[in-house]
Amino acid sequence: MGSYGVPIYYLLTHILENEVVKPPEITSRTLELGSKYSPDFVCTPFKYTLGTMIESIEKGANLLIQMGGGCRYGYYHELQEQILKDLGYSCTVLNLVSGGRKISYKELKKYPLKIKKRHFLKSIYITKKMVYYMDKMDDYIRTHRCYEKKKGSFDKVRKEMLASFAKVKGVRDLFKTYRKYKKKMEDIPLNQPERRIRVGLIGELYTLMEPAANEEVEKLLNSYGFEVKRYTDVTYLLFEKKRKVRKYLKNFFVKYCMGADALDNIHHTKELCEEGYDGIIHMKSSFCTPEIGAMPIIEKVAQEYQVPVLFFSMDMHTSETGFLTRLEAFCDMLEMRKQ
Amino acid sequence: MDKVTVGIPRGIPYYYDGEFWKFFFQKCNIEVLNSPSTTQEIVDRGISLAPDEMCLSMKIYLGHLDYLEGKCDYLFVPRIDRFDDANQTCTNFLSFYDLAKTYFKTPILNYNIDCHNDLLDGALEIGSLLSIPRVSILKAYDEALEKAKEIKRVKNKKQLELLKEKQKKVLIVSHAYNIHDALIGSDLLKMLKENGIIVLYSDYFLSEDTNPLASKLSKKLYWKYSRDSIGAIPLCEDVNGIIFLSTFPCGLDSLVHELVIRKIKKPYLNLVIDNLSSFTGLETRVESFVDLLEQS
Amino acid sequence: MKECYLGIDIGSISTKGVVIDKEYHLLDSCYLETKGNPIEAVKQVLRQIKIPEGYHLYGIGTTGSARKLIGLLLNANVIKNEITAHAVATMTYHPEVKTILEIGGQDSKVIQIRNHMISDYAMNTLCAAGTGAFLSSQAKRLGMDVKDFGSLALTSQNPTNIAARCTVFAESDLVHKAQIGYPKEDIVAGLCKSVVLNYLNNVCKGKKLEAPIIFQGGVSKNEGVLKYFKEILKEEVMVDPNGHLMGALGIAILSSKNPRKEEYHLDFENVSFKTIGKECHDCSNRCELLQIYREEELLDIWGSKCGKY
Repeated sequence: MGSYGVPIYYLLTHILENEVVKPPEITSRTLELGSKYSPDFVCTPFKYTLGTMIESIEKGANLLIQMGGGCRYGYYHELQEQILKDLGYSCTVLNLVSGGRKISYKELKKYPLKIKKRHFLKSIYITKKMVYYMDKMDDYIRTHRCYEKKKGSFDKVRKEMLASFAKVKGVRDLFKTYRKYKKKMEDIPLNQPERRIRVGLIGELYTLMEPAANEEVEKLLNSYGFEVKRYTDVTYLLFEKKRKVRKYLKNFFVKYCMGADALDNIHHTKELCEEGYDGIIHMKSSFCTPEIGAMPIIEKVAQEYQVPVLFFSMDMHTSETGFLTRLEAFCDMLEMRKQ
Repeated sequence: MDKVTVGIPRGIPYYYDGEFWKFFFQKCNIEVLNSPSTTQEIVDRGISLAPDEMCLSMKIYLGHLDYLEGKCDYLFVPRIDRFDDANQTCTNFLSFYDLAKTYFKTPILNYNIDCHNDLLDGALEIGSLLSIPRVSILKAYDEALEKAKEIKRVKNKKQLELLKEKQKKVLIVSHAYNIHDALIGSDLLKMLKENGIIVLYSDYFLSEDTNPLASKLSKKLYWKYSRDSIGAIPLCEDVNGIIFLSTFPCGLDSLVHELVIRKIKKPYLNLVIDNLSSFTGLETRVESFVDLLEQS
Repeated sequence: MKECYLGIDIGSISTKGVVIDKEYHLLDSCYLETKGNPIEAVKQVLRQIKIPEGYHLYGIGTTGSARKLIGLLLNANVIKNEITAHAVATMTYHPEVKTILEIGGQDSKVIQIRNHMISDYAMNTLCAAGTGAFLSSQAKRLGMDVKDFGSLALTSQNPTNIAARCTVFAESDLVHKAQIGYPKEDIVAGLCKSVVLNYLNNVCKGKKLEAPIIFQGGVSKNEGVLKYFKEILKEEVMVDPNGHLMGALGIAILSSKNPRKEEYHLDFENVSFKTIGKECHDCSNRCELLQIYREEELLDIWGSKCGKY
């Protein structure tokens, strides 16, 4: 998912003695494979992950790891395993957080995984830190790439950074690498913005975090000269969400959790409006049930603050032209409102 | 105090514990206004309110709430999260209350079921909101629960008797709110009965019997109502065919039905109902399915 | 010499061209079918459209689905999407309007205006149901010309219910209704009504449509659809006689406002444009590339996902 392949690959190669197959990047072939074997109105991440699984098996994998819970995500693996078996592949799909609870070490032992006990905790710590640094950098990029003097400077530094992250040797090395690239990014020459237009990006996590699933919306918005704010990233989901949700529930604005990130998104809408963002873009994969339930509430909140919201429902049939027309028109509107 | 009216929509949760609440309010001497059986008008109301991609059953539920809006003192809207970790519900069940609050102005009577709260807590909460003395709540709860259970037992007994019949039998696997909805399931049921087929409903069996059986088909399934419905399949070894009925685009059924279909060996028909499916399409599919059963 | 500006709206079904002067008066216009060949359609437009004596062209704007291609070929000074163009034109010619309903060939949209600004808009969810293309294909099914749809719909007393949310289902529903013997005018009226209901439920969901309302796009020529809009919204709905040209007018206005102005010469007649489509096999993305040539000069390559071109 996005560039998170780097830390995850790092983690797996450092804690497992088994051979780890790096999943190939998502291409149109992944999508074709995925949608060919998926049920009709399942949500899109199912199709993406199924496609990636088939491609990884072709590269030699026989144990596939899924993570997810909260909505339909948690049930993906069982059906995916069945579909793969019916296709004649022999493999196991393992879900690390099945049914809302984390899998225990004991259960993990049932699978043919050889875990290196040495450096186990250290590797986990490094991975966690790596994710944290990546997310921090991406936050910085989203608000600054729009002003870069030379096009592509940020993307170049980011690519270099990910490549060196993959090779770090220890905690200190990671920290040093991070500092180095942070400096590099801050040194990128920027144009002085004439006017700042800020857009908040909310919605369903897979679509937000996988550029292949969202038509690289962040890059596009940045290229129009808009700053982008996105709450959802792995750091948020794994380490901050629990605390935030508790806080949100105390506000009594929405009484209950509504599954997945629906509650978070409603609160983020409110926050974005209060902080004076110019527009909000809500993206989700088609048929994402929790988000569908949240949409009317998000719309109402934004209406109260008179902040325009653009809803996108992405799936493989999304035509690029249709998407661009809508996005451009939205951006034109934000610019006109600003004048 | 003036007598209050509680509006109960004939949508999704109604089909699970509607009977219980009917008796409960009766005992507590509170007037209840039920919305009528689903009509095209109610569907249209729901469609005009709900986002396009919401499932038809949810749209119908909202349509019922909209029908009751302004006609009663309270709208009765629960929120059902989970009974335990292995028995969760669809995320739509989690958003009933907050959605209703967004759409409607009538005050809402709400209770919550999750790991820490069960139906009794719900009854106590509703009762205290309507300022009914605790003793009467408990009494009404016990009686209503017993009555509701009795109805379920009778239904279950009838089903088990039908299972012994010699005629061709079909099991409908679906959520209760789809099978018994006047618009979603009725055409199908009528067609099957006209063709002399005995129809069994997955939701008329007792959850105690079906729920554990679901693991035979899917080990990791963690949705209660899906477990209850597919658990009926191993229970009804003797049926000649199975009809999967779901509404477009139900998130749970899209996965669960697909998995189950890949595992069963019986003739099956997978029907997905959207408000746009025309009667003719359904007729052709059901007729050819019946023909298939006759030959088997 | 007085300044004038050319606006071209290349839609999926039709191509529109207009010439306006500095005060936004319409000088000349033309309207023809795209027929799947935007370049040929634009050449046709340039052949037909006349720049009056005493005027000189100082700007070209393109909009519509082929705006980028044509904009590149004509060296346009403004290339903008059709939503913005429609809104700009409507705000110029009908400053009082607060809501614009638009149903075009393949998409439909609603634009809301407050204080002479677009305040909100929505578009159909990437599906052709309930648009002009949908009506044309249903007309073909019934063996009629879509132009006669409107007048026939007006004669019906009892429009039939037709489910129009999805093209495929609508078609089977329609055929079924026709076969069990509903009169044609009721079916046609039902279709028109379902287009309106579908539009209001789908595109305008959750929006408060404030009067004055104007109805635009190719389908606005259909009296049946207009009638049901008025009936269901219980409001007066205006239709501009130039409603079908609004996109082109809007982009011409934007072109006139653009500071980058230069003298244009319309002599594309003898220039050959060529586009070559090919699939790139360099990676598994297998992008469909489109190479665009003017004469033999390569102008641009589109469609690359990895950024190679």
